[in-house]
Amino acid sequence: MNIFQEIWIIWKKEMKVWWKNPAFAIVRSLMFPLMWMVIFGIAFSGTVDHIPVALVQGDFGEEANRYVGMLNTEGVLDITTTTNYANAVEMLKEREVYGIIFVPPGFSRGIEEGNTVEVQLSIDETSPQVSNTVISFISRISDAFSKQIAPSSNMVSVQKNTVFGQGIEYLDFLAPGVIMMTIVFSAMFSGGLGFVMDREFGTLKMLIAAPISKNSIIIGKTGAGVVQSLFSGTAALLIAMAMGVEVKTNILGFGLIIGLMFLTAFGFIGMSMAFATRITRIEHLQLMMMLVIMPMWFLSGGLYPLESMPEWMRVVAFINPMTYATDAMRAVMLRGIIWEAFALDVLVLTGFAISMLIAGSLSFKRTIE
Amino acid sequence: MKIIEIHDLTKEFNGLTAVDKINFSVEKGEIFGFLGPNGSGKTTTINMLATLLLPTSGTATVNGFDIIKNPHEVRKSIGIVPQEVVLENDLTARENLEFHGALYGVAKKDMEDSIPDLLDLVELEDRADDRVITFSGGMKRRLEVVKAFLHTPTLIFMDEPTLGLDPQTRRVIWEQIQRLKKEENTTVFLTTHYMEEADYLCDRIGIIDYGKILDLDTPSNLKHKIGEGDIIDMRVSGDIDSILKKLEKEGCSLKKREDNFIRLMALRGEDVLPKIVRLAEREGITIESLSIHEPTLEDVFIHYTGREIREEKAESGIKAVLKKFKGVK
Repeated sequence: MNIFQEIWIIWKKEMKVWWKNPAFAIVRSLMFPLMWMVIFGIAFSGTVDHIPVALVQGDFGEEANRYVGMLNTEGVLDITTTTNYANAVEMLKEREVYGIIFVPPGFSRGIEEGNTVEVQLSIDETSPQVSNTVISFISRISDAFSKQIAPSSNMVSVQKNTVFGQGIEYLDFLAPGVIMMTIVFSAMFSGGLGFVMDREFGTLKMLIAAPISKNSIIIGKTGAGVVQSLFSGTAALLIAMAMGVEVKTNILGFGLIIGLMFLTAFGFIGMSMAFATRITRIEHLQLMMMLVIMPMWFLSGGLYPLESMPEWMRVVAFINPMTYATDAMRAVMLRGIIWEAFALDVLVLTGFAISMLIAGSLSFKRTIE
Repeated sequence: MKIIEIHDLTKEFNGLTAVDKINFSVEKGEIFGFLGPNGSGKTTTINMLATLLLPTSGTATVNGFDIIKNPHEVRKSIGIVPQEVVLENDLTARENLEFHGALYGVAKKDMEDSIPDLLDLVELEDRADDRVITFSGGMKRRLEVVKAFLHTPTLIFMDEPTLGLDPQTRRVIWEQIQRLKKEENTTVFLTTHYMEEADYLCDRIGIIDYGKILDLDTPSNLKHKIGEGDIIDMRVSGDIDSILKKLEKEGCSLKKREDNFIRLMALRGEDVLPKIVRLAEREGITIESLSIHEPTLEDVFIHYTGREIREEKAESGIKAVLKKFKGVK
């Protein structure tokens, strides 16, 4: 047998094995590129727009209205107009808006008299891409507004005032999402992968044969998975802090951070358990990681703000539990404890954790019966 | 006292009957052997008795508890040595035993005494604190076997306990099984491919094939059932029919004939042998080979199943090797 025959034999066998699992081959070669091109090509390259901001209008004169009208163009901002400044502050605190634009009383008169007027922008900079877009858009509009009146003049000066996220950079924005992803990966490994391995190597059978209840097996395994995930999450947090990510919170906030990690770990262990009982091969778990978990992360706003995604993709983000995990983590880490800002996140995460634990343990029980 | 009583126990998998309405019982303190080829229903039966698998119909009691209605109590009374080694590779031998003991509610204090003893029994005392992943296949198997002894169950199920082991290791495990019976009056229910193992260890043997019990008796009774006397195998060339009649007159009975192979049975084989040789010479028949042996369980097995278990042995040997490779990866 010459070397070409030998190579042929090996090649043929590999191709045969490959083709024996058509689903795997097809998913890998079609789904994978499709998915990633959609995620990276559409979600991450889109411009940030439809950013919710509050507008406190203290002047309803002709010039002021014209200025506001210009702010309403291009679809960059989703403006909620109010006359009550306290209202707007409340909205900013609760993260309903990213910023407050204050058009002061006397705006129109000032312009008419040829004076420079001051527009105040109070902004939440915890999402740098978003706040940068808002700031540059408002500057550009103000410029254009001025030029319409008198070329080469600066009639409107924008006074920026950072309310949250003073001095925040991309790293600060990224860290909460990375910490949550670390939790999720760890949860997947200790939950789902552990289960598949246990079944593969028969240790699961021994546990089932022992005179202990099935609930004890599930709860014990989940509990260990949660602690392992918390360990990974805490390590990620410490690394982030060592790299200069400033956690703007107190001891209670750190407690909250641990609590969020805890809920997320619970939910994803349950989820991976539910998946793992359905699959027979470790490869399928890897496939699931690739096709479910990674997209979940990329579409969670962890890497890039949700405002950069097209509408339909925001729907995906809306039903994605990771969105809420990242959002809550970011709120606590970068803004401190403002309950209203992450109450919804906590609620969704709790619901997710409970339902996934039930789903996971039910399907686990079914497989071992 | 009967420790296992089986009533019409049946298991079907997708219309395939793996265990077909079997009925038998096992006495307390007995070493009971289940002998059958691969896929005959041995492991399925054990899994049902150990409450790992629900029967399709029928039931059984183990240590007085119904396997369907009271699985928890059944589990408390039994120990299991499964076919494949199921140890936590990253834990040490001692930790594996401690975990197992804890699962079965063995007091920590008792374990402190018994674990070193058990490790000593299977010559693993100096490896107690090494991770199991560093163990050879035989060492793992030995650990697996004593693991089941730890909580001193009244009944131990062993599924192919010595599969693929070297003779010394196998001997160690046999000794332990016999010691259990003698010292603790433990009942052992084992399945095996190995005839000599069943013969050496078992008080009674059930032969199972295609999910049915073909016969169940003591090894010596089983051997007698295929006929009294010795088995004579010969390979000849020439016209054999002419001497067969004469041999039958001498007290030989024909058991099997295949081409030029003949199996005879005779009460006093050693007396018959010279006669065969003389007859053959006179008739001008050449004897190519001639052997005599007492009936073994192998013969019993062939008698009942029409198959030799040897083929299975080879197959399971390969399986064992493959399993090892899988473990390495």
